[in-house]
Amino acid sequence: MEAKRRRQPRKLALLLIGILLGGVVSAQQSSLVIGLLLPGPKNDAGYNQSFYDAVMQVQRNVPGVRVIVAEYVTDAEAESTMETMIRQGAKLIFPCAFAFQYPALAVAARNPSVYFMHPGGWEVKPNFSNFFATTQLHFYIMGVAAGLMTKTNQIGFVAGMPLGYTLGNVNGFHLGARSVNPKVTTRLLFTFSWGDTTKEAAAAQALLNQGCDVITMHLDSPVAVIQTVEAAGAYTIGFMSPEARKYAPKGWITGLAFNWGDYFTESAKAVMNGTWRTGFIRRGLSEGFLQIAPFGSAVPESVRQKVLAVAEDYKAGRIDPFKGPIKDQKGVVRIPAGVVWGNEKMGDFDWLVEGIIGEPK
Amino acid sequence: MNWQFFGDLLSGTIMYGVPLLYMTLGAVIEQRAGMVNLGLEGIMLAGASTGFAMSVAAGNPWIGIGMAALAGALLNLIYAYLVVNRKASQLASGMTLMFLGSGISAVIGRPYVGAGIAGLARYQLPGLALVPWVTRTMFSYDLLVYLAVPSALFVWWLLFRTRYGLSLRAVGENPSAAFAAGRRIDLLKYSASIMCGLLGGIAGAHLSIALARTWTEGMTGGRGYIALALVIFSKWHPLKSIFGALLFGGAVTLQLQLQAKGAGISPFLLNMIPYVLTLAVLLIWSGARKYAAPGALGRIYSGED
Repeated sequence: MEAKRRRQPRKLALLLIGILLGGVVSAQQSSLVIGLLLPGPKNDAGYNQSFYDAVMQVQRNVPGVRVIVAEYVTDAEAESTMETMIRQGAKLIFPCAFAFQYPALAVAARNPSVYFMHPGGWEVKPNFSNFFATTQLHFYIMGVAAGLMTKTNQIGFVAGMPLGYTLGNVNGFHLGARSVNPKVTTRLLFTFSWGDTTKEAAAAQALLNQGCDVITMHLDSPVAVIQTVEAAGAYTIGFMSPEARKYAPKGWITGLAFNWGDYFTESAKAVMNGTWRTGFIRRGLSEGFLQIAPFGSAVPESVRQKVLAVAEDYKAGRIDPFKGPIKDQKGVVRIPAGVVWGNEKMGDFDWLVEGIIGEPK
Repeated sequence: MNWQFFGDLLSGTIMYGVPLLYMTLGAVIEQRAGMVNLGLEGIMLAGASTGFAMSVAAGNPWIGIGMAALAGALLNLIYAYLVVNRKASQLASGMTLMFLGSGISAVIGRPYVGAGIAGLARYQLPGLALVPWVTRTMFSYDLLVYLAVPSALFVWWLLFRTRYGLSLRAVGENPSAAFAAGRRIDLLKYSASIMCGLLGGIAGAHLSIALARTWTEGMTGGRGYIALALVIFSKWHPLKSIFGALLFGGAVTLQLQLQAKGAGISPFLLNMIPYVLTLAVLLIWSGARKYAAPGALGRIYSGED
């Protein structure tokens, strides 16, 4: 509660500035105003930045598009922020936090001519669509990179909360590593927060102490983990924004990065042409929702080629990371031979694959 | 469980106990002078953002830490002015300081979100390299860690072995008597608040510069409140706060180390241990005169007629 309350004065100030700016700018002609709501800072080299960079790409590439960005939006103020944006002429709104789904849905019901695109939820209405990337399947490719790069055969994963989607990422990562290196053990640590950076640094340190030499993460911002790992001379694999690589000039391997820019551009054009359609959209590497971040200087050519080859195999449908038989930590077969854990079940994991050290709750 | 595990545990405990210790020492001084400050979280946040921002801007983490200490002291002067000059409620003033500190820290830190810094240089304790189970990352600390226990000793000396400390404690126990003995109550209280602010600023800067090496809004995550509990836990004694800080720091590290080892113990349970112990301390010693809080803690001194 406190964390939310203390942001209010700033939020109000931001809104006021937004309204003032809106008054100035709305005098100009523009054919589409896009509103972006972020729960955190736009330059976190993580979750928030992935969306911010995408709307900026739209603004650069589509003439007549103007973008209004609100950072540090709290759940309680999401609705009023969206209404303010609509009053400034916003016709396409990206409420980019999981918890903005229902506030956005309420605003969408009141404003049928405004389009909403929410990441990671499930609600779909005529003017409200849902999109996200199938990260769980693609963490497999990151796992391949980790499995090839580790010398200690110990790789680590720092995660915020034990959600099904997060466990899926860890499972995918581990399966990928095992596919190229059967001796690999993955250690999983939860900080039970998405943004306690001090604890994230401590978690990375604990993994390093256990001998992990490749560490990845699922957190709001990867910065604390990457810097701790870099200082210890170990390797990192990033997640969400490719910009995270600047924190690891020596130890960066690669990363799984969101790439919303093209999709946002296409959606903005559709709104302008009147061809926008709603939907429940889950896409990956092949459709451009995800990209493999550039490799770091420490990665040998052979590893790069292998990782890219696995990515190609995956895109071509020759690999399915979650194809049985897959056992859990207790040795129970969770995915029987020949069965595939479907795309729609990526949030349903409540178990971890054999060989992962950690608790799935 | 082996030597390596205990080594890692101890190593992490020290690292994450240190910022708590700096903040607790500051709070001990302030409370010894009769002031309960609920705004410690705000002071730490101001220190964390100022320290990080100045490290980036100046390119030197020590300038950052110096400025963080100053920022903490400046912020706490507001609290001192409110409770000493304006005779405002300590609880309300502390809460105000907390909100003010988190707001100010967000404004200061905003342009520096996502900036990278090198952090503080770490030095391994000499001789440890010979011990077989000591790994490269263990017992390698920055200077602020090495200065933590000397700081606690200094605060102890200041409070219990100097005339100034005696006056300060007198103000916290019985301001009327201190006044009768010719002490400047207002100046003593101000000095305690400044020291608390300096130490709190350093504590926050240690989090952002040395540990996380990044600034995020609200990154202290309640450590200012933990310091408040630690003051009670250590019974207003600077040397006992060393153990308190290690215990609280140890709980976080133990939880992560156990997870990394794959021991199936609930991390939430482990996180509770320090608070349960604080509760136990309160239950056991709260009645005993010897261990009671400073006599005039939390009271407003309105002067003598």
